[in-house]
Amino acid sequence: MMGRTMFIDPGRCIGCQACVSACRECDSHRGKSMIHLDYTDEGHSVASLPTVCMHCEDPVAPCAEVCPADAILVTADGVVQQADTTRCIGCANCVNACPFGVPKIDLQAKLQMKCNLCYDRTAYGLAPMCATVCPTGALFYGTAEELQAERPGVQIADTFVFGESEVRTGAAMVVPAERVRWPVPGGLPVVEINGEDVRR
Amino acid sequence: MTEPPEAPSAAEPPGADARTGPPGGPGSRRRGRGSLVVARAAEALPRSVNGRAVLAGTAVSALLVLAIVCGSRLLRDYDSALLPYAVASVFLAFGVAYRYTVWVSAPAARRLLARGWGSFFSADNFRQAPTAVPRMIATYLGFQKFLGARSHARWAAHQLIFWGCVLAALITFPLTWGWFTFTSGTGSGPGYEMRIWGVKILGFDALSVVGWVMFHGLDLAAVLVIPGAAYFLRRRMKDRGAMTGQRFAYDMVPLLALIIISVTGLLLTFSSLFLHGGGYEFLAILHMASVVFTLVYIPFGKFFHIVQRPAAVGMQLFKYTARRGDEIFTCRRCHEPIDTGPYVENLRGTMRDLDLGFDRWAEYCPRCKRVLRGNAYLSQVKKGFQ
Repeated sequence: MMGRTMFIDPGRCIGCQACVSACRECDSHRGKSMIHLDYTDEGHSVASLPTVCMHCEDPVAPCAEVCPADAILVTADGVVQQADTTRCIGCANCVNACPFGVPKIDLQAKLQMKCNLCYDRTAYGLAPMCATVCPTGALFYGTAEELQAERPGVQIADTFVFGESEVRTGAAMVVPAERVRWPVPGGLPVVEINGEDVRR
Repeated sequence: MTEPPEAPSAAEPPGADARTGPPGGPGSRRRGRGSLVVARAAEALPRSVNGRAVLAGTAVSALLVLAIVCGSRLLRDYDSALLPYAVASVFLAFGVAYRYTVWVSAPAARRLLARGWGSFFSADNFRQAPTAVPRMIATYLGFQKFLGARSHARWAAHQLIFWGCVLAALITFPLTWGWFTFTSGTGSGPGYEMRIWGVKILGFDALSVVGWVMFHGLDLAAVLVIPGAAYFLRRRMKDRGAMTGQRFAYDMVPLLALIIISVTGLLLTFSSLFLHGGGYEFLAILHMASVVFTLVYIPFGKFFHIVQRPAAVGMQLFKYTARRGDEIFTCRRCHEPIDTGPYVENLRGTMRDLDLGFDRWAEYCPRCKRVLRGNAYLSQVKKGFQ
């Protein structure tokens, strides 16, 4: 995991959309919001989930690996950048391969865009726009130590499981202490684990 | 919540379910602080790919040398003053062929190349959409309509650079290879003949408008390129979006190179017209050095997008052919269209090639992926989340 990175705590998210508005102000994609805020069980629950790029480390950036034009670059500090405007051919491979559903595509402009951790800010030590405005701390930018100093007892997980595959990320989720040993479920419907039917 | 069907077992590579990271483990492809690196399936180039690329580069550059020798009528029409340009173009041919081979050896590009050409040569393409390819070439490669959707100013500036460079390339390469010759049967003119491979193409009066345009083609190209490149250079210094993550060698050098080539080229004309050739030799060397540097730089920097961009036509044709066949693939959960069926299958194949074991996930739309992950967190990780 990166040193200073994003920590997401869906339990704190109140779905206020402040992050969505703030994201539009990011200089690297002015006027377009790259963060996703989804209401996961609309009509039954007020639960909401903010999604920023998780900056996958292992495998490193699947979006970049499936890019046929080598358009997605990874900086030395582990930030997966949005597509290079010169190279992107708008094929949407990255959009559909990303296990977290992060990249967006403008089909007219033949251009992929995604959260780049507000690189114009974080490269200079500033927090990303979304984390700066989040009123409840659902989006926290800093080191794991800073998070744990501010929220004693909190645990984090940076490994997600999709079916039989695991993805380790540069950003992390806040999880209950008893769950820290397990990878966070990625949501890919699973039929059975070790012969046991786990469908609900 | 629906369960995705099992992937066809025949297409499943052995051990695809075992999660494997990139060779050397995570972080192994990191380099020095501040440098940007392309995340590729493999950091070290496999020896077989390298060998193939060297072979392709050698073959293409040898063919070019042969074409230069034959095209200049066994060097009879060759202008030895232009030798450095020709040598640089041979190196350019090697570099482009080498990098192109490496590029199309990666799983995603290799599959796209196969699908693009497959669509192009398919009977359906010729029968149902014979105008599709010329239209796409004009739209994507010529007039670059997609750039207009990004920004009208950038589109205009890029069009200036593009047509200026096309004009310059059409003049420079055949000239430096000895393919074009301008001869006068009457000593110093004004009647001139333009010959290609020794064959007379047209005769013109050097003092006519046609003659002026013929002899000032590169000046016209420079006049097109300078404002376009200057716009992008200014944007690189003022626009905070463009400046995010920009690198001097990748983003600034190509623009500076274009401007230096154009300005020194115009100064050569200025010197001959107004300075009686004053400083001409120095300017000629400066101009030659900047052109040679740019030709050598093309395969390794931003200019390689000139070679890569035609892939957009292949990709669009691949999708277009499937769309005409009404092969739309919808999300397993919400049934919203994702893309064409062959596209999704091609992506899943690419993911399997790369050992990305979650290729089934490509059958869900991005929103459903997020919602399913949110639901899983809600039900399995932090139940208090609701």
